Amino acid sequence: MSAGDVLAILRGAVVTVTLSLTGILIGLPIGLGLAVLRWADVPVVARIVAVYVSILRATPLVTLLLLLFFALPNIGIAIGPISAAILALVMNTAAFNCEVWRASLMNFPKDQYEAAQSVGMSAGLRFRRIVLPQIARTSLPGLVNEMSLLIKVTPVLAVVGVVDITRAAVRIGAETYDPLPPFLVAVALYAPIVFALVALQRWIERRQLMAEAAA
Amino acid sequence: MADRVLDVAGVSKRFGALEVLSDISFQVEKGETVCVLGPSGSGKSTLLRCINWLERPDAGQIYLNGAQIGVNGAGLVMSDRELSRIRTRIGMVFQHFALWPHLTVLQNLMEAPVQVQKRPKAEVRDEALALLAKVGLSDKRDAFPAKLSGGQKQRVGIARALAMRPDLLLFDEPTSALDPELVGEVLVVMRELAHEGMTMVVVTHEMGFARDAATRILFLDRGRVLETAMPERFFSSPETERARQFIQRYAGHAANGGR
Amino acid sequence: MIHDFGIVWSERDLLLTGLGNTTILSVLSAVAALLIGFVLTPAWMSKQRWLAGTVRGFVDGMRCVPFLLFAYIVYYGLPSLGIRLDNWTSGLVALTIYNAAYMAEILRGAWTAQPREPIEAGVAFGFSNIALFRRIVLPPLLLAAGPVIGNQMIQIIKDSAFLTIIALPELTHAASSIQSRHYVPFAAFITAVFLYWGLCLVIEAGVSSIDRLAAARR
Repeated sequence: MSAGDVLAILRGAVVTVTLSLTGILIGLPIGLGLAVLRWADVPVVARIVAVYVSILRATPLVTLLLLLFFALPNIGIAIGPISAAILALVMNTAAFNCEVWRASLMNFPKDQYEAAQSVGMSAGLRFRRIVLPQIARTSLPGLVNEMSLLIKVTPVLAVVGVVDITRAAVRIGAETYDPLPPFLVAVALYAPIVFALVALQRWIERRQLMAEAAA
Repeated sequence: MADRVLDVAGVSKRFGALEVLSDISFQVEKGETVCVLGPSGSGKSTLLRCINWLERPDAGQIYLNGAQIGVNGAGLVMSDRELSRIRTRIGMVFQHFALWPHLTVLQNLMEAPVQVQKRPKAEVRDEALALLAKVGLSDKRDAFPAKLSGGQKQRVGIARALAMRPDLLLFDEPTSALDPELVGEVLVVMRELAHEGMTMVVVTHEMGFARDAATRILFLDRGRVLETAMPERFFSSPETERARQFIQRYAGHAANGGR
Repeated sequence: MIHDFGIVWSERDLLLTGLGNTTILSVLSAVAALLIGFVLTPAWMSKQRWLAGTVRGFVDGMRCVPFLLFAYIVYYGLPSLGIRLDNWTSGLVALTIYNAAYMAEILRGAWTAQPREPIEAGVAFGFSNIALFRRIVLPPLLLAAGPVIGNQMIQIIKDSAFLTIIALPELTHAASSIQSRHYVPFAAFITAVFLYWGLCLVIEAGVSSIDRLAAARR
């Protein structure tokens, strides 16, 4: 394996990180929106969201990606590998994020919400000033966990030709007939990112546990 | 009539098959302190929560200063926005305090006046600090609620409700969740408010407070108003058997004059 | 569109075989992973620092590696070390080893959450070793860990789809094959999606019954 090969894998890392970040940043607010729709029990829509989340959480990302990549052009929507990849990542992570946000919303203390109602806060104010600051805190470990899971499924992008870490490693392995070294380099790139996120999640959980104990 | 703050007429409420409130009617004039007493399950808390439409009555009308709550001029059920506007005129103190944990004590007091009533921050701040002094918690203004004792939290809860300058204050068993030693400090604040002429409706088990500070007792049993009378008359010669039993059971508390 | 689904229906044998393979693969590796987990967890909690450390390293390692990459390594990488496995064995091995780490973590969590007294009582009443484990320790542990293990099973089913890349004839591979031969991508993959959803609902039903058993005993 040459230096040029390592460089190729590093370039793949840029793609992995960029697409992961895009998926995470778009998926977070969409997940929150879905969770709020269910929490507010908007007629019809809430049920649709529930079914959507249930299906998305049961669908392997590979299958979803292939579906989007091949089926959308078939019904007239031209979509390239990168767009299909981002769409698949976002659809997937939004569904999981929705459940994390929803857990926080369902556990939100009712009397605080009533106190906000009793002082005449509108629904928007109640949500913005009282609910959101707190559920952002309680949802954090689950959301960070979901981020680490998202990074671990990005190799699926290789299946539609996006040159991320995995595809770069596979390509080099195929060219040099020595697949193990590039794979190990790939592991060495994924592991620290995921590990950092897992460590972050554990740290957040520990801090929140201590804050609760002190109260 | 211009001084009638609250008018409750024929309010009923059921939860599933259970009729919790049946045809409740009463009025509260300005400056009155009405204590709602009754055994558990009599519907006292539900009645209170119907007044500011945290619970929606199934029947009856409720008027605040002559304006109906819950149903607008067109005869339709009020939207959340319309209800919010009315709720700024009614303050509520909760059994479990319901303080907002991510805000400091001072911020808890200032939050609604600034965000909902859109009053200038400096004015709200001055008034909030004055209220904190009134309830004896000036030194806690930058503390977070989690760090306070139950009695302190409830005093903050009262100050927070007062910060909205309400026409009417509702108390939902304000001392029931407190350790006995902490009840007194809250009752002191409530007594003072009553004395100063605040219009209050208090659901409570504190017979001593009811005896001393109430201008009127409303006795509820199984969803109905059984008796309404001045405290001395109610406690010394109740009209109904249920009221008699109730007072006897709490005789120990009443005899000690509360706390 | 109806025509497309008609084509998929005509290829239902292929799909059902794929579904069957997915199911067999997932069940086998889940059971194997759980059994290995039962060996790993006590090792993880052992007083021997080197043993506990090794297991911890393994578990943390598997948590940091993407499964698809791991599957590639087992299938394409191991031959460099002389170990040549066919795609079925590779898939099964990768799925099992990868999830054994997660099962160990789940079991450890469930174990630390268990109260000690009932087990002490078991010992006091004369239970020992196998009997103690089988009758006193294991049942409450499985009841408590049931939902989490159920979730992991769903994860295993989804990971199995990655094995399409090593040409393992599971469900996604079958759908892909139908798609590429008949050009019916939407019908083929949507059918696969609904089949995966169905599998998932079956597992969730199973988890609910375990939960009901557990709740009656809480």
